Amino acid sequence: MSIQFKSLTFGYTESGKPLFSDFSAEFEKEKITILTGASGCGKSTLLYLAAGIYPHGGGFLHSGDVTVEGSLPEPLSPKKRCLLAGMMFQNPELQFCMDTVKNELVFCLENICTAPEAIEKTIDQALDFCEIRHLKDRTLLSLSGGERQKVMLACITALCPRWLLLDEPFANIDNEAARAIAGKLKELHQKFHMGILAVDHRLDNWLSIADEVRVLENGTLLPGAINPAAFDEKILESHGIIVPGRSYRPKLSLSEPGETILELKDVSLSYGEQDILKSVTASFCRGIIYAVVGESGCGKSSLFGVLSGLHKYRGSILFQGKELKKNRKKLGGRMGFVTQNPQDQFVGGTVRQEILTSLKGNPKAADISEEILRGIRLWRYRDVSPYLLSQGQQRRLGVAALMAYDCQVLVCDEPTYAQDRINTMAIMESLCQQARLHHAALIFSTHDRQLAKDYADEILQLKGGVLHAFSEPGM
Amino acid sequence: MRSLNPACKFTGLLAVTFVLAWRHDPVLNLIVSVLSILLILSARVKVKSLLLFMSPVLLFAVGMFFTGFYFSAGSDMPVNEKTMAFASSSFWNGLTLASRVLAFAGIGYLFALTTDRILLVRSFQKQFHLPQIFAYGLLAAWGILPHMMQEYRRTRAAFQARGIRTFAVSPALLGPLLVKSVRWSEELSIAMESKGFSGHEKRTDFQPVRVHGYDWFFLGLCIIVFPVAAVFV
Repeated sequence: MSIQFKSLTFGYTESGKPLFSDFSAEFEKEKITILTGASGCGKSTLLYLAAGIYPHGGGFLHSGDVTVEGSLPEPLSPKKRCLLAGMMFQNPELQFCMDTVKNELVFCLENICTAPEAIEKTIDQALDFCEIRHLKDRTLLSLSGGERQKVMLACITALCPRWLLLDEPFANIDNEAARAIAGKLKELHQKFHMGILAVDHRLDNWLSIADEVRVLENGTLLPGAINPAAFDEKILESHGIIVPGRSYRPKLSLSEPGETILELKDVSLSYGEQDILKSVTASFCRGIIYAVVGESGCGKSSLFGVLSGLHKYRGSILFQGKELKKNRKKLGGRMGFVTQNPQDQFVGGTVRQEILTSLKGNPKAADISEEILRGIRLWRYRDVSPYLLSQGQQRRLGVAALMAYDCQVLVCDEPTYAQDRINTMAIMESLCQQARLHHAALIFSTHDRQLAKDYADEILQLKGGVLHAFSEPGM
Repeated sequence: MRSLNPACKFTGLLAVTFVLAWRHDPVLNLIVSVLSILLILSARVKVKSLLLFMSPVLLFAVGMFFTGFYFSAGSDMPVNEKTMAFASSSFWNGLTLASRVLAFAGIGYLFALTTDRILLVRSFQKQFHLPQIFAYGLLAAWGILPHMMQEYRRTRAAFQARGIRTFAVSPALLGPLLVKSVRWSEELSIAMESKGFSGHEKRTDFQPVRVHGYDWFFLGLCIIVFPVAAVFV
């Protein structure tokens, strides 16, 4: 039994070039298969087709079909479909519609018409299997990303579909939780004979459980499966896949450290009774690239939230020797923030407006904006809404808009979050080049140690709410 | 109050509200508001949070009292020396308006603070035959709200960092929020569907929300006893 794609031609527009043309592939139930490839190669689309979400949820199926265990998933009702193929998504925040873990599981089981007297027992079994019985009555809102993915896994366990399709389930969670979930997936596969097909561009957490890795490129599946126990890193790297421990080889010019621009003195932050930051002290100089590393949930985002004014903090932050709290409104772009999602920072209605906003008051704004947009190859999109650009283009625009100010510190919270290798390199290159060009201090956070090592001049580690210099043997 | 069937509670309290809207009796209003507060407290709502909720209402009630006091219907407009006098009619008028605010707020909080939203929606679905697609859609939308708030703060910080002054509900801030909520609702509906929810298919009911004897008693109290008492007593 398997998932079969038969001469599939599918695209997101009715008349344009299809994403897949005459695509055929088969994934066997006996093997845990990881489908990998660069961002935008169509791997998630395949998954959505197999889950029966497409084409009625989006796109056009011109010819061919997809069968799961011999039946077409799309015409089935959601109730029957979820028993055939269950899905686990990337964003753990947007998968639930009830308030508590128990209620969510009840919702799932009611959907598939489980007898009311059997529901309680099934829930307990599913929670025990995922080792999260203690979360049963907790609200979903109070759970961490990793815990939410475990709850999602419990939902899947309770529904017990014949196939489980996973769309980058580890993108938002820390490695420890990812490894725990991967272990459970293997158990589901062995105990309940659940077929597993996962899509991911990072392989780190899959290598221990996967039976084979397949690479998708430009709408075709490359011939031959890769054995995860012995694979050639160079092949994967050339397809844009992030291989654990491989260098990014940046081409960066050296820079002289300038004057101290930003100073943190005993900055602390608590959330309820929990201390997230405990007297963080650090200073940042112009011209230097800093990386902030640390486990997920260690407070990296909170630290960046403090800098951007999202959280109220104790202690003092000095920008050019002046207290940031009092002078935030007068900064006028001298401190730039790059958000995880480039869309979060857009303020203009069109691409050009976005740059012009930064140049307000400059008599030559029109000329400079043209020069900048030509420089980042977006001039022809000048009258388009920034939301319509591709993710890579949005990122370029976002950074350029910040750089149009006299930006002296660039603060980036996980700028390469959920990006494949090629995009990661492009983003980091553009950030670092701009920082060097303007002799600005660049502070970025990442959970990819290799990225920090390759791009940063200095690495800082946030651990137990304290920021200190990070050193690793061999660095 | 917590164990009452939410649909019955809703209907009963709505009836009380209508009766109060039609009667102009400050004593009745005050009795209802005091009763509401007592019932809220008996449902183990923290005094501190109740005070927090009630404080804007109290302020509003005081405002309404003085509005009614100085601008009572019988007095000559605009305000003259006469209306400044402590006339019993204008005092009564002020008290009526102020006590109305207290009574309506009391009933509103009584419902809001003692009702579980999941149970409410399930009960509406069962007793009022609300289509399940609306019922669960409502619950899902409720779940998105905290994300919206967080996103709103994030967008506002982003605007500020770029030197753009914003006020609480600037249209510029709502644009990005709108784009995101459309994307979120799409993701959420896909997730719900992948868990087998379709909106029109039969589902089982784990703990059906039933109407008990005491629910009927409460309904009778609100719909029959209270209006009769309000008219004759």
